[in-house]
Amino acid sequence: MKKSLVVLLILTLFLSGCWDRRELNELGIAMALGIDKSEGKYLVSAQVVVPSEVSMKTNSQGRSAVTLFQASGESIYEAFRKMTKNSPRKIYPGHLLILVISEDLAKEGIAESLDLLSRDWELRPDFYVVVAKNTTASEVLNVNTPIESIPANKMYNTLQVSERNWAGTKGMILDELIKDLLADGKEAVLTGIEVIGDKESGSSKQNVETITSAAEIKYDHLAVFKGDRLVGWLNEEESRGYADITNSVKSTVTAIPCPQKGKITLNILHYNSKVTGAIKKGKPEVNIKIQAEGDVGEVQCPIDLTKPKTIDELEKIYEKEVEEIIHRTVDTLRNQFNSDIFGFGDAISRSNPKVWDKMKEHWDEKFSEVTVNTQIDVKIRRIGTVNNSFLEKIKD
Amino acid sequence: MGFFKKKTNTKEQSTSPSQTKETSSPNDLKTSLQDNIQFVKDSLGESSDIVIREIRIGQGGSVKAGIFYTDGLTDTPSLQNFIMESLMLDIKGTGLEKKLTPGHNILTALKDFAMTVGEIKDLTNFDDLFTSLLSGDTILLIDGYSEGLVIGNKHWVERGITEPASQTVVRGPREGFSENLRVNTALIRRKIKDPNLWMESKVIGTRTKTNVSLMYIHGVANDKIVNEVRLRLDRIDIDGILESGNIEGFIEDSTYSPFPTVFNTERPDIVAAALLEGRIAILVDGTPFVLIVPALFVQFFQSPEDYYVHTGIGSLIRLLRFFSFVIALLAPALFVAITTFHQVMLPPALLISLTAQREGVPFPAFVEAIIMEVTFEILREAGIRMPRSIGSAMSIVGAFVIGTAAVEAGIISAAMVIVVSITAISSFVSPTYNMAISVRILRFVFMGLAASFGLYGLAIGLVAMILHLCSLRSFGIPYMAPFAPFNVSDQKDTLIVVPIWKMFTRPRLINQTNVVRQQDPASAKPQPPKNEETRE
Repeated sequence: MKKSLVVLLILTLFLSGCWDRRELNELGIAMALGIDKSEGKYLVSAQVVVPSEVSMKTNSQGRSAVTLFQASGESIYEAFRKMTKNSPRKIYPGHLLILVISEDLAKEGIAESLDLLSRDWELRPDFYVVVAKNTTASEVLNVNTPIESIPANKMYNTLQVSERNWAGTKGMILDELIKDLLADGKEAVLTGIEVIGDKESGSSKQNVETITSAAEIKYDHLAVFKGDRLVGWLNEEESRGYADITNSVKSTVTAIPCPQKGKITLNILHYNSKVTGAIKKGKPEVNIKIQAEGDVGEVQCPIDLTKPKTIDELEKIYEKEVEEIIHRTVDTLRNQFNSDIFGFGDAISRSNPKVWDKMKEHWDEKFSEVTVNTQIDVKIRRIGTVNNSFLEKIKD
Repeated sequence: MGFFKKKTNTKEQSTSPSQTKETSSPNDLKTSLQDNIQFVKDSLGESSDIVIREIRIGQGGSVKAGIFYTDGLTDTPSLQNFIMESLMLDIKGTGLEKKLTPGHNILTALKDFAMTVGEIKDLTNFDDLFTSLLSGDTILLIDGYSEGLVIGNKHWVERGITEPASQTVVRGPREGFSENLRVNTALIRRKIKDPNLWMESKVIGTRTKTNVSLMYIHGVANDKIVNEVRLRLDRIDIDGILESGNIEGFIEDSTYSPFPTVFNTERPDIVAAALLEGRIAILVDGTPFVLIVPALFVQFFQSPEDYYVHTGIGSLIRLLRFFSFVIALLAPALFVAITTFHQVMLPPALLISLTAQREGVPFPAFVEAIIMEVTFEILREAGIRMPRSIGSAMSIVGAFVIGTAAVEAGIISAAMVIVVSITAISSFVSPTYNMAISVRILRFVFMGLAASFGLYGLAIGLVAMILHLCSLRSFGIPYMAPFAPFNVSDQKDTLIVVPIWKMFTRPRLINQTNVVRQQDPASAKPQPPKNEETRE
């Protein structure tokens, strides 16, 4: 009796297990996903890696490193499963790096499309979400990229590097995006992605065989949302203004005018901004406090950097410059889109929760009345490896 | 469980009849030399290595005597110089010769005055005669006496003291035990010159009559454990003990556990250290492997070198051993579990690289792992058993054919070869062969669990293994001590090794009575002399 029980137990071990076992070479590893909408149906494109082409081993046959599978369906999930009709392996989205949403779909609203992606257990909600500007998502995923043979890797790395070093882009992962969509006093922002050049030849191998690619993927502009709908795009200056306000700057470079003529470029290394809300005389008010530290990066004008006074002057110019950008950006958002992407409402709800409860119903109107105060403090610490520019001596 | 019990019962039955048969013959020595010689010849089947020499001694050769020895086990020069010569030549014309006539007590006279040999014993029966004769002693029988003398002059060619093949160290004594029990006890005595180092001898094996010695430091070793060891050794009833492994099989606590509960070593310094901690050593004649009990889990990760080198490197290497124990146990199982169930855990670049390697591999990862592991086990076994001279041929076959060719042929993925190699190398890190073997067995169990349940199965398996380890005991001591039950002061020599002057006490669980082993660490800490002292 006991013996048969043991045998049964061992059998259950080897008969019941393994149900979710998948060998590595049964996986179609999707690194990027694109969602378009046409004629009421979702068109899902998955950029799937061809592992033998990516690996270091010499037996690669010169084929493309990724391939694109597409399927359309009533829902994203349906379309996703339908891909098995033309893919030899089941699409495995666990390592998804980037999700591209087409501009058309974004204008209609993105909330419905995101449910599957946050619900499915195979997905990790830490991939970037971007919006395809002036193009469809499938076209973005259809471009071969130099350096990174997997375009999804290129998109992921470019976004990460530019966010860290330029600050004009915003790497928004799914979790943050959903949080922003749900927040009362904050609207979502996504980075735009564009295909520049000849879209047709982008998918061919020749695209990466020449020094300049015929088609290129590039991030530009920030997509402004109101609710879950795209309402417009920010230009580069406004994008940086957005980063300045929301403390998204890690490091950046800014050219400012010299006191006389020419330009001087500052390299910002430490940056911190804080938005606090307040109610003054019944009116909402936000204070933006910015502290930044940086170096002199490039000098294109005759200026005596060895004098502390000059440095003070430069700091003043930069502070003024940032202040202007911030006000211009806030004005654009108020007048053109009426979308509070900075989280001003959020700041007020934190400082005056009771007032916010009454105010949030008609925040859209109040948003344009908010007084924006800025307090900017910039310190220039170093001037690089030379003192004064040699430009001065050349002119003599 | 019932199945196992049945087996042990039948064993007992089969061994018991042999016990009674041995003592049936008339055992006492006979008076007539001729009869005795005849009896010995008959009993030994006239074996050609038994030499029987009849001589005449005493005045006018009036006394007949017989000398028995086993050729090859006896020191022939000393037999000729100190026995034959003194009996036949040296006593000619001395006063002693007169006593050697029928009527006098010849045996006592010989023993007292003629035998210039250290070890002499009286002999009255054939059992002792055969045991002594076949152990290499010389027997002297005198016609007319039903008694005889055993002259201890054993000597045979044996392996000298060489460096042990296992448990090698860079720094530390190079001597290892040999096959001779006496030499081995001497090696230990040379390290511990304490009157309390006691040794008990037993003869085990009804036919092999193997000498087994029990060594412990009286007052340091726990008496209860000594008694338990004695009891278990006395319980052994078998015709032959050929190696200490046979003894181990009889006295170990849990035969079917993959983990060893008896420690064995070829190194006298390990035995000495164990004795000083209060453990008990069991030496068996005919093998260089000495058993040490009680043996705890951590003991199998301790190398004598840990205590001879700097404490920092000793500790790091100790940690490294535990780490490689885990690798040797789990690496293939983890690899199988992660690549077939939990791909999400791999970084994207690694996932793609592993997938690319698996392209075209015909087997599932589990089968692949089993193939490689079994191949490696075959190679390893072949490496141990085959003649030394063809070793290089095999390593070529092993390295090139199995490693490179299997990958190039697309049968095995390169990653799997790496995993199996890492596992193999890690399993050799263990300073004791015993523990490496248990890891070898368990590795396959974990691979099976990983292949059917993934990490979940691995976790269940690990919990089961730890429960089992905690339930084990070695001679009454919990096997996982000092981890479970946890003992703070014994942590000094487990995961890390503290400086020797801080090892103030002996392991608590093994030794409860005599705990302190050195002066207080506060004063033992090496430090420069204080100013006042130097001035004087």
